[in-house]
Amino acid sequence: MSMQLSNWIQLNNEIMVLKDGKYQFEKDREAARSYFVDYVNQNTVFFHDLREKIDYLIEHDYYEQELFDKYSFAEVKKLYEMVYQKKFRFPSFMSAFKFYNNYAMKTNDGTKFLERYEDRIAVVSLFLGNGDMKKAMEYAELFISQEYQPATPTFLNAGKKRRGELVSCFLLEIDDSMNSIGFAINSALQLSKIGGGVSLSLSKIRAADEQIKGLDGKASGVLPVMKLFEDCFSYANQLGQRDGSGVVYLNIFHADIHEFLDTKKINSDEKIRIKTLSLGVVAPNKFFELVEKDKDMYLFYPHTVYKEYGMHMDDMDITAMYDELVNNPNVRKKRVVARDLIIKIAQIQMESGYPYLMFVDNANEYHALKEIGRVKFSNLCSEIAQLSEVSSINDYGEEDVINRDISCNLGSLNIVNVMQNKRMKETVHRSMDALTEVSDRSDISIVPSVAKANRELHSVGLGAMNLHGFLALNKIAYESKEAIDFVRTFFMMLNFYSLERSMLIAKERGETFKDFEKSEYANGAYFERYMNTDYSPRTEKVAALFEGMDIPTHEDWVRLKEQVAQYGVYHAYRLAIAPTGSISYLQSSTASIAPITQKIEEREYGDSKTIYPMPFLNEDNFFYYKEAYDMDMFNLIDLVAEVQVHIDQAISTILYVKDDLTTRDLAMYYIYAQKKGLKTLYYTRTRKRTIDECVSCVV
Amino acid sequence: MNKFEAVNWNAPEADYTELLWTQNTSQFWLDTEIPISKDLKSWAKLSHNEKLTFMRVLGGLTLLDTEQGNVGMPMIAQHVADKQKKAILIFQAAMEEIHAKSYSTIFTTVASSEMINDTFEWVKEDKHLQYKTSRIDSYYKNIQDGGNLSLYQAMVASVFLESFLFYSGFFYPLYLAGQGKMVASGEIIKLIVRDESVHGVFVGLLAQEAFQQLNGAEQEAASRFVQDLLNDLYKNELEYTEKLYDPIGLTHEVKKYIRYNANKALMNLGLEPVFEEEEVNPVVLNGIRTQTTTHDFFSTKGQGYQKGKVEPLHDEDFELLNRRVLESNKLGI
Repeated sequence: MSMQLSNWIQLNNEIMVLKDGKYQFEKDREAARSYFVDYVNQNTVFFHDLREKIDYLIEHDYYEQELFDKYSFAEVKKLYEMVYQKKFRFPSFMSAFKFYNNYAMKTNDGTKFLERYEDRIAVVSLFLGNGDMKKAMEYAELFISQEYQPATPTFLNAGKKRRGELVSCFLLEIDDSMNSIGFAINSALQLSKIGGGVSLSLSKIRAADEQIKGLDGKASGVLPVMKLFEDCFSYANQLGQRDGSGVVYLNIFHADIHEFLDTKKINSDEKIRIKTLSLGVVAPNKFFELVEKDKDMYLFYPHTVYKEYGMHMDDMDITAMYDELVNNPNVRKKRVVARDLIIKIAQIQMESGYPYLMFVDNANEYHALKEIGRVKFSNLCSEIAQLSEVSSINDYGEEDVINRDISCNLGSLNIVNVMQNKRMKETVHRSMDALTEVSDRSDISIVPSVAKANRELHSVGLGAMNLHGFLALNKIAYESKEAIDFVRTFFMMLNFYSLERSMLIAKERGETFKDFEKSEYANGAYFERYMNTDYSPRTEKVAALFEGMDIPTHEDWVRLKEQVAQYGVYHAYRLAIAPTGSISYLQSSTASIAPITQKIEEREYGDSKTIYPMPFLNEDNFFYYKEAYDMDMFNLIDLVAEVQVHIDQAISTILYVKDDLTTRDLAMYYIYAQKKGLKTLYYTRTRKRTIDECVSCVV
Repeated sequence: MNKFEAVNWNAPEADYTELLWTQNTSQFWLDTEIPISKDLKSWAKLSHNEKLTFMRVLGGLTLLDTEQGNVGMPMIAQHVADKQKKAILIFQAAMEEIHAKSYSTIFTTVASSEMINDTFEWVKEDKHLQYKTSRIDSYYKNIQDGGNLSLYQAMVASVFLESFLFYSGFFYPLYLAGQGKMVASGEIIKLIVRDESVHGVFVGLLAQEAFQQLNGAEQEAASRFVQDLLNDLYKNELEYTEKLYDPIGLTHEVKKYIRYNANKALMNLGLEPVFEEEEVNPVVLNGIRTQTTTHDFFSTKGQGYQKGKVEPLHDEDFELLNRRVLESNKLGI
């Protein structure tokens, strides 16, 4: 038997083989074609016509019968025809491969394809249309024109008879009790089983050496709890497809913070090493103040704080309470040097990429629901910033007190196509409708705290991708004032139209998110910056890009403010900029609002390896595709800060650094990001210089 | 009486020693950092022949790394005069031990005990594998005090081992990982490749210096030696490859890869390549570009992380930061 390499992988890898000193970009189209002709077409189940196909798929439990019952066959046919008439073609091997490898529905034995890209789009549209043919057609048009892309769980699962959940992102608080830890473990298992990424806040758990039942020194702290979760996530692996993913967040003032961070050190002991669980640190502004003044800082033992104040440490505004806690002799504490701690975080980030950082005070300061609840931690990709409340899990026979945890369903606009088709209002409105439909039809009953929050808050997270692609296409440098000018207007518009749609839904349904009247949307405080600042383009170049589009004016904002006060808002949270992994490949897009990391990417994914030249890459725009590692991270932070102004949740922001950087440089980025109002920083990526590069300068 | 000297890192021995020390130490890693258990599902899908090849190439690599860690690096280190260079060689020896152990970590995770025992038995019995190891070993054990030629020969043997002979073994895991199979094991192999490429460069530099110390006649003998050894090992390697890769139909691809790396080894020694340039399987070639590749953060570790350089914050850093915040906000950016 022979193990020949497939033709398309060979062709795709040949992009990198220089010919006359140039990369062979044309090989990629050849690879995509070969992949279709030699593989996809050969391995697709054949049907004579649409009716036969749909009947077969329903009969064999692939599609939901109820979904198709909502439409006449003529309607279904009309929608399929419209989608197919668009003659969509994947422009690169990577985009085609991503779709067929990860998204297309396959036969039960996994050997044959049952769907093309067009079919998946049609089914998702019918699902989201929920019987409304006009809406279904609008969604289909939106998807096939690649202006909006639902996040993976929705796009992958919608319409299937046997499917996972439509939302994938969950955040759970854990109380300082064995019942709560056990409940969280069960929830983590259940959510991993249905394909979710789970974030857990450990900040309430008592530290190592604290009291249990009044006995000193009995508690083991957060480390063993981390170990338990690590094992949970590797056990629950979605039918063997992929291990569950989890992150644990800890407040930086928690007494176990050093041990928490040490779990990711390269040289740490096997017993305490955490390999697959991600870490996040929640850092209030007080920490940064102590760092700047080069002061010592106190870490607190959370159980003693709780006993003293009847309130958990992470439910407090620690920045405001810090001096009080320091001066209270009943609060147990230990002293460390603040600057040493930030350097330690930087060092561990260089070694492992972790921890993520959450600037929790920034998140709460720019929080329209601040009178309703506190934001305490973020999620696995650090773009979520929503309020949460811990639940009390009691013994059998005693009622639990279920409060609100967090789930989020995400989707992203493709900036290039949105700017090209110039119907941003309609695009954003439809996108918000699609997300709302998912929220309305999700009920994560296995984790009641998540279901409750979804019922009461209807949170969604609309984001964007292909920013760098758009800038390069228009010959704008990522680190330029034009880039800043563009995002300032674009994301203001995204905010305006999403809020407008949320208000219209509230008006149509006569329903707002719970406690809307206590929010800053209701009292108008939210609109202050739009009353005082004009976010329309300031440079000619950017103004030209928006030609033919209506940019909301001051008057529009005044009107929206009044409408919101009158009708309310349906979604407690609307916007979040996710890192967009797989879906940006589907869309032949650069990821999120991030800069590219390689002009020609060599992508190692858990299940494949491919070469991916950036979208539109050619000799002309080669220069505008500057790689992230060659950029000044202060410039990146400036750009993200400009976007953050308009985003009610957070932005998944990755720092890209070269390996000659020191902990000092990295710490300065954290401090700058905190000062500029960012809510989170995702992980830090290092590009290792190759040995050729190193030695060639010397030998 | 002999005076003992301490290694003094404040006085550079050569302009590259500090650099290579930093490069070596900064890419330190341990096999236990990579979650190999992720490969279990992929392993179950490999055919019997594929599994057998995988086990044997890794078994072969284990033997070579054992030789290099136990004998090669320490022996050369004994006979190199400069203390910093010795330090680098000993560090490299330690890494070779980690490499040797990491194959076992892969074995233990995916294979049955019988299969593991069979593999180590096979290593002991395989003629070609034993031949190349003994050939290399003979030069390590032959280094004479003050014998420049014998030291040069040992270094050449070492470069051939690290930059040439390893690669018939690396090919298969890289080829699999390139197709999304045994990806975590592939990750380990890539970390090893990253190390071996530095080791090859370093010992290659030492060999070039040693060559300069030789007199005319010795240089001539040395050049002949390089050709002869290469030819002999190359022939052995072709047969070894046929035996390993015929059952899975990859022999031809691997042979090209061997020639490609033989050329690399010669270049490390400062010599001209002898084999014609050929197109090496691009999947494998892309696997060994030792830059950071884009990876899915949740799936694999990536080769990009390393020990960080620690430097404290200074008060003037905050002046700079505060000024930048002020200016960027003033501009409205």
